[in-house]
Amino acid sequence: MKAKRIVALISILVILAAGVYAVVDAYSSGNYQTYDGGENAKAIVADPDYYDTSEASGVAEPIVKKNLNDTMAANNVAAVVFDFRGFDTLGESFILLTSIAGAYVILSVSKKKKKEDEE
Amino acid sequence: MKFKNGITEKSIIVKCGADMMLPFAVVFGIYIILFGTVSPGGGFQGGVMVAAAAVLLYLAYGYKTAKSAINTEVLRVGEAAGATLYVIFGLCGLFIGSVFCQNVFYDNGAVGDLISAGTITYMGYSVGFKVLTGVGFLVLLMLGLLAPGADDADDDEEEDEE
Repeated sequence: MKAKRIVALISILVILAAGVYAVVDAYSSGNYQTYDGGENAKAIVADPDYYDTSEASGVAEPIVKKNLNDTMAANNVAAVVFDFRGFDTLGESFILLTSIAGAYVILSVSKKKKKEDEE
Repeated sequence: MKFKNGITEKSIIVKCGADMMLPFAVVFGIYIILFGTVSPGGGFQGGVMVAAAAVLLYLAYGYKTAKSAINTEVLRVGEAAGATLYVIFGLCGLFIGSVFCQNVFYDNGAVGDLISAGTITYMGYSVGFKVLTGVGFLVLLMLGLLAPGADDADDDEEEDEE
């Protein structure tokens, strides 16, 4: 029991140290901002074409530029979730299926045991 | 108000609030599922919102009423059916000679229409159906163990069977 607690404490400390290091490193390198204030956010919402996508490259290039031609989904996130990474979503939904099946098995067994104990 | 057998009578404010919010929870959740491809949202989010209706029903009327109002067998089978439908829509890409989860039949309708995105739309619907049945089933299963008066409800069911 005591060894378990020490292991848990050490792992929590390691995770905490990694988090603090990540924050300090991101702050000191200057790359911590996700929105640089360069574009007018209200104008992008009103007219999505206002955002300049001509420089998108790498993985973002097919998602940003070819999305409407390839999928015709107005919601880009839905296109990413169900088409570009559809296999990942399959695994994601099967996690839910497996966890609910496990909960059903464990909880129904414990319910039966409770009744038998009462009798 | 608390009775001797542990069942708590809910206050009328909670009942009226749940009565008012239940239709909105169900309708808005289904809207989020159906319009997943054209507006923010999707299957996972909308499914959990519809499943929250089961929690509202439990909060207002207790476990016994919620269990009798919702058929848990249908939920259990519906979750597996939703997962199977997702795989079938994913396999549609293989039948036209492409890869798994390839988007097909997407060239009917304009961008922004409800059913314009081909299999993305149908996969979103199947995930939504799967999540709303699965999470609803899980919620009812856990409430059955934890809720006060749940054992009494089970006993009543057994008496009915006899």
